Amino acid sequence: MSGNAASILFALEKVTKTYGAITALDELSVCVPPGAIGLLGPNGSGKTTMIRTLLGLIPANGGRARVLGMDVRRRQLDIRRLIGFVPEDECLFPGVAGVEFVAYAGELVGMPARDAMQRAHEVLDYVGLTEVRYRQVESYSAGMKQRLKLAAAIIHDPKLLILDEPTNGMDPAGRKDMLALAHDLAHHKNMSVLFSSHLLPDVEAVCDHIIVLGAGQLLVQGNIRELKAVHPGSFEVRLKEDGTSFSQQLTDLGCAVQRRGDMLLIQIPSGAAPAMLWQAAAAHQQQIRHLRSQRSTLEEVFLNAVERTSCQL
Amino acid sequence: MPIIDQGYQHWSGRLTGHRWRWLAITRHGVKIAMRSYFLRYVLLAAWVPALVLVTTLSAWGLLERKSKMARTFIQFMQFMNPGVVADPRHYCGAVWRLAYGYFFHVELFFAMILILIVGPGLISRDLRVNALPLYFSRPLRRVDYFLGKLGVVVTFLGMVLIVPAVIAYIFGLLFSVDLTVVRDTFGLLIGAVAYGLLISVSAGMLILALSALGRNSRYVALLWLGLWFVSSVVSSVLTAVHHQQQRYVYHPPPTSSELMTRQGPKPLTMNDAAASTAKKSDVPVSRNWRALLSYTTNLSRVGAKLLGTNAAWKQISLLEPTASGRHRLLARFGGPWYPWYWSAIVLAGLLGLSLCVLNLSIRTLDRLK
Repeated sequence: MSGNAASILFALEKVTKTYGAITALDELSVCVPPGAIGLLGPNGSGKTTMIRTLLGLIPANGGRARVLGMDVRRRQLDIRRLIGFVPEDECLFPGVAGVEFVAYAGELVGMPARDAMQRAHEVLDYVGLTEVRYRQVESYSAGMKQRLKLAAAIIHDPKLLILDEPTNGMDPAGRKDMLALAHDLAHHKNMSVLFSSHLLPDVEAVCDHIIVLGAGQLLVQGNIRELKAVHPGSFEVRLKEDGTSFSQQLTDLGCAVQRRGDMLLIQIPSGAAPAMLWQAAAAHQQQIRHLRSQRSTLEEVFLNAVERTSCQL
Repeated sequence: MPIIDQGYQHWSGRLTGHRWRWLAITRHGVKIAMRSYFLRYVLLAAWVPALVLVTTLSAWGLLERKSKMARTFIQFMQFMNPGVVADPRHYCGAVWRLAYGYFFHVELFFAMILILIVGPGLISRDLRVNALPLYFSRPLRRVDYFLGKLGVVVTFLGMVLIVPAVIAYIFGLLFSVDLTVVRDTFGLLIGAVAYGLLISVSAGMLILALSALGRNSRYVALLWLGLWFVSSVVSSVLTAVHHQQQRYVYHPPPTSSELMTRQGPKPLTMNDAAASTAKKSDVPVSRNWRALLSYTTNLSRVGAKLLGTNAAWKQISLLEPTASGRHRLLARFGGPWYPWYWSAIVLAGLLGLSLCVLNLSIRTLDRLK
C-alpha cells in the first residue's frame, strides 16, 4: 500500500471476508482519494461488507485496511470518531424527539451533552428539519427520517461520511433534497462522502469518483468523467423532422445508425469527417438541432463492468 | 429557500475519551424511562419503606436518649422484646441490622417491579428497531454498550436500595447518643451498600440477558415474571412439602393402635417442624436446597449474610427464657439457614450465564443481513 496518506481516503489491500461458505470480499484491493465516491454493485457484491469493514464493525479474515491513514484493526475507535455513518435501515428509537435523537448521537461520539444539544439544533437547521425538531421521530416521513439520520451522522463534523442507500424509498422531492445535501457536503463543506446506492443517477448527481464491486472484487474504479469517455467517430444527432431518408443516406455512406428515442446514434466510418453529417442533412433539407460526440453513460459503464465479470465467471 | 442555503458550520470542539462513554447511554436510558408516570409512582411507593427505615433508626436513637415518645413508637414493632427496649444501647447493632433486613426485604419486591418496568426494553428495543448500527458505528465498544444499559438498571435500583440505606444510616447516626455507634454499625453500612449493589448488578445483568434474547419486550417481561414469581412459587411449594416430610420424620404418623385410642401426636405447624429440626442440630434445616430454586431467596440469603440479620436474631433470641422459645424465634424469623455460599454460587452461575447470553446475542454486526 503506497502513496501519501493525506491523498488517500481509504485503502484496502487484499481484504477477504467470508461468512461461512459465502465469500463477501474476495482479496479486494482498492485505493480511494478524498472526495465524493460512489459505491456501486449488484446485490450481494460486497458493498455493505466493505462499509462495515471500513468502520471496523466486522473483522476481515485477511488483508489490511486503512482509513484516513489509520489501521482498521488497531484504531477502530479513533477511525469511528472521524466517520459519520447513515445506515440503510430505519434504526430510529421511538419515543424521542428529533433533536434529542441527534444530540444523543453526538454524545455517543463523545461530545459533551451541552455541545451536542447546541450542535443538534445547528445540523437540524442545515438538513431542513428545524420546524419538526421537537416532534417524535416515529411521526416523521421517510424523507425526514433519512435527513434526521444524516443530521445524526454529521453532528460531530466527520471527515468521512458514509451513506448506505440514502435515497431508498424516498419520494422525488425528498430524494432531491437528500442528494442536494450530500452534494453540498461533498463539494462545499470539505467532507469526503462514500455514497453507496443502486441508483446510478443518484451516484452521478453526487459523486466524482466511483467504485464498482462484483462478487466481492473490484470491477471498475475511477473518475466518472474519465470513465464516461468520448467515443471517437460516434455522434448523437437530433433533427427537426423525421430523418428516415437522412438515416438511409448515412447508412448508404457506410455509417452505423441507431435510433434511440428522438435521437440518432451515428457511428461514421473511420477516416471520415463529421462534416458528412451536415452534408447529408443539407442534401435532405433537414435541420440538425443537436449534434455532439457520444459519451458512455454511467449505466453503460456499470453494465459493461458487470457483464465482463459475468462472462469471466 | 433551498435547504443547503441555510449553512453548515464546522465543529471544532473536543471529544471526550472512551472511558466514560457508557454514561451517555445510561443518561439517555434514565431520561427516557423517567417519562413513564407509572415508573414515577412506583419509585414514590418504593421510597415509603425508606422513610420507615429512617424513622426507625431515628426513633431508636431517641430511645437511647430515653425519650418516652420513641418508646411508645417502638412498642408497635412486632419483633421487639421487652429486654431489647430495656437496654437500647446494647441492642443497637442488632436492631439496626434487623431494620435494614426488613427494609431490603420490602425493597427487593419493589426492585423486581422496577426492573419489570425498566429492563425488558433495554436491548430488545434496540434489536427491534435495528439500532445497533447507530451504536457500533460510533466509537463505542460492546462493553460500553452493556455498561451503559446496566447503568440504567443500577441507577433506578440504587435510588431505592443504596441511596435510602445510606441516608437512613446518616440519620441514625445523627440521632444516636454518641458516635461510638459507628464502630458497631459501620460494617452494616458496607454490607447494605454491597447488598444493594449485588441486587442491582445481578438482576441488571439477568434482565439484560433476557432482553437480548428477543425483539419483543413483552415476552422479555413475561420471562422476567417467570424467573421471579414462578421460581419463588415453585421453591415455596417444594419447601413446604419438605417441611411436611420433616414433620413425619420427627413425629411419625399414628399407628393403628394409637388411632384406636385417639392418642396420636397432635398436628404440628410448619414453625414447630422447623423448631423441632433445630433441636436436633445447631443449624436448623441446614441442608434444605429447595430455597435455591427461588431467585429472590438466593438474593435474600446472601443479603442476610451481608447484613448479619441471622446473627442479630440469635442475639435477640438469647433473651428468650427457654431453649424451645429461642428455637421457635429463630425458626420463625431467622430466615433460611442453609449455607449462604450456596446462594452465592447460584447467583454467580446466573451472572456467568447472563454474560454468555449477552456475548452471543450482541456480536456487533458480524453477520449477513
